[in-house]
Amino acid sequence: MNLSYRIYYVFLRNLISYKRFIFTTFLVSLGQPFFYLITFGIGMGAYMGQFGGRPYLYFLVPGVLISSVMMSSASECMYGTFVKMIHEKLYDSLIATPISCEDAVAGDIAWGMFRGLVSGVLMLVVALLMGILPVSAVNFILLLLLMMFVGVLFSSLSMIVTSFAPNFDFFSYYSELILTPMLFFSGVFFPLDKFPAWMKAFAQFMPLTHAVNISRSIFSGQASQGLAFNFLVLIIMEAVAFNFGIKLMKRRLIK
Amino acid sequence: MNSLVIAKNLVKKFKDVTAVNDISFEIKEGECFGFLGPNGAGKTSTIRMIHCVSPVTSGMLTVTGMPANINSRAIKSITGVIPQEINLDVDLTVDENLAIHARFFDIPRAQARKRINDYLKFVELDQKRNSKIDELSTGMKKRLLIARALINAPKLIIADEPTTGLDPQARHLVWQRLRELKREGATLILTTQYMEEAEQLCDRIVIMHKGRILKEGVPKSLIEDEIGSEVVEIRVPKEEDEKILSRLSIAGAAHERVGDTLYFYCRDGKDLMRKVVEMNLHNVLNRPATLEDVFLKLTGRSLIE
Repeated sequence: MNLSYRIYYVFLRNLISYKRFIFTTFLVSLGQPFFYLITFGIGMGAYMGQFGGRPYLYFLVPGVLISSVMMSSASECMYGTFVKMIHEKLYDSLIATPISCEDAVAGDIAWGMFRGLVSGVLMLVVALLMGILPVSAVNFILLLLLMMFVGVLFSSLSMIVTSFAPNFDFFSYYSELILTPMLFFSGVFFPLDKFPAWMKAFAQFMPLTHAVNISRSIFSGQASQGLAFNFLVLIIMEAVAFNFGIKLMKRRLIK
Repeated sequence: MNSLVIAKNLVKKFKDVTAVNDISFEIKEGECFGFLGPNGAGKTSTIRMIHCVSPVTSGMLTVTGMPANINSRAIKSITGVIPQEINLDVDLTVDENLAIHARFFDIPRAQARKRINDYLKFVELDQKRNSKIDELSTGMKKRLLIARALINAPKLIIADEPTTGLDPQARHLVWQRLRELKREGATLILTTQYMEEAEQLCDRIVIMHKGRILKEGVPKSLIEDEIGSEVVEIRVPKEEDEKILSRLSIAGAAHERVGDTLYFYCRDGKDLMRKVVEMNLHNVLNRPATLEDVFLKLTGRSLIE
C-alpha cells in the first residue's frame, strides 16, 4: 500500500472545488435526514409516548445522525468519485504526478469522510436546537470521532462499489438494495428487540447497527450491552473495506 | 550525450492484447524523440510506461537510471506530461489548476507563484487566469496543459499527440513553445500521427506499427534512405499502368500503385517529368518526399521494384 502525506493534497483539491457549491450541498445533506426527524420524530413520536423513559426523539436522533453521515459519505464516493474518474479524468492527471494511485483514492475517501462529517454536524445543530445533545463535552468529541470513523467506513465501501460501476445506474442498486434497507434493519427508527432471532442475527452483519449502538451510548453516556463488540466489528469492517476499496480502485485505474 | 530513457525488449500486454511487442530504444538527454504511428500502434502505451502510470509487462525500462514502475514518485517528479486527452480540473479556475498542480509536486508557494505567472505568459493565457475551464477554447486548453506540464520544471517532457484537433494557428503556437523548451535544454518525447509535426520537431524518430518499431532514425535521412528526395504522383486509371510503365520505367525510380494513383519515388524528378510531359499526361504532381511517404511505405503496401 503506497500511501503518503499527499493524501492531504487530494483532499485539498476537493476542498478548493467544494467552495463553489457549498450551500447547495448543505441543503442536500440536510434534506433527507431532516425529513426523518420531522416525520418520524415529531409525527410518529406523538404516538410513541415515552420511549425507554424519555421522548422518542432521544432514541431517534443518535441513529438519524449516523445515517446522515453514512448517506453523505457513501454518495460522495459513488457519484462524486465516478464523475472525477470517468467524466473529468481527474484521476489520470493526479497519478501522473508524484501522487500515487493509493494516495488519490485515500484522499477521496478522506474527502467522503469530511462530507459525512459536515452532514453529521449540520444534523447535530438541528438536534441541539431541539434540545438533544450528548451528555458531556468529552462525549461530544467522541461523537465527532465516531462520525469520522463511520465516514471512512462508508466511503471505503462505496469505493468498492465504484470500482465495479460501469455507469451511474449501478449505484442505485447499492443505494436502493443495501443502504436504504440498512436504515430499517439497523435500529435507527425502532429497537431490534422485537425482531425474530434470525433478523437480529442478520442485523449484526450491518455496519450501521453497530455504529448506531455506539452513537446512542455516546448520547446517553451509558455504555450499552455489547459496546466492545460493536467497536470490534466496526474496526474490522473498516480495515477490510479500506483495503479492498483502494485495491479494487487501483485495479480499475492502473492498466 | 547520456541516455535519459533506455528501453530493452519492452513489452506491454493488456489481457490477451499485446500493445507493445518487444521494442528497444534509447532517448538521449536534450533531444526531441518522436514516436510515430497510426492509431493503435502502441505509442501511448509506450509513453505511459515511461512516465510510470502503466506497469511494464516485461523487459527493461529506465529513466535517468531508475527503473520505471508505477510506484516511482522520483521519475514522476522530474517528468511533465501533456496528455492526449484534456484532463484539466473543470471544477477549478485556470490559476487554481496550476496552483494545485504545483502543490502535488511539493513546490514552495512563492516559487509556484512565480512559475504560474511565467508559464501563463509563456502560453499566452495570462489574460485568462481567473477563467473557468469551460470558457476556454480547445487550443487554449491544450496550451494550459503545456503550462501545467512545466510547473515542476521537468527534465523530461512527454507530449502525447499535443496538436491533435487544433486549428493551424494553435498548432504552430504549440510547436513554437515545444521548440523553445527544447532549446532551453529539456528532453522531449513526442507521439504523433502527423508526419509534418515529426519533421518540424523531432531530432530522431521511431515508426511504430502494431506494437513494433519498424524503423528508427533521423527524419531527413529516413526519407532519403527509404524514398529518395522526390515523388511524382500520376493520377491515371489502373488499365494504363502497363503503357505508362513501359515508357517511364527508369533505373532507380521505384513505383507503387495505390488506389487511383501511380507513385514514382526518385532522387530527381526532372527526367521523369520531361517524359511525363512528352506523354501528355495531365493529372501529375512532382513534390519533395516527406515522412508521410516513408510512413505509408512502411506501414502500408509493399513496393514493387
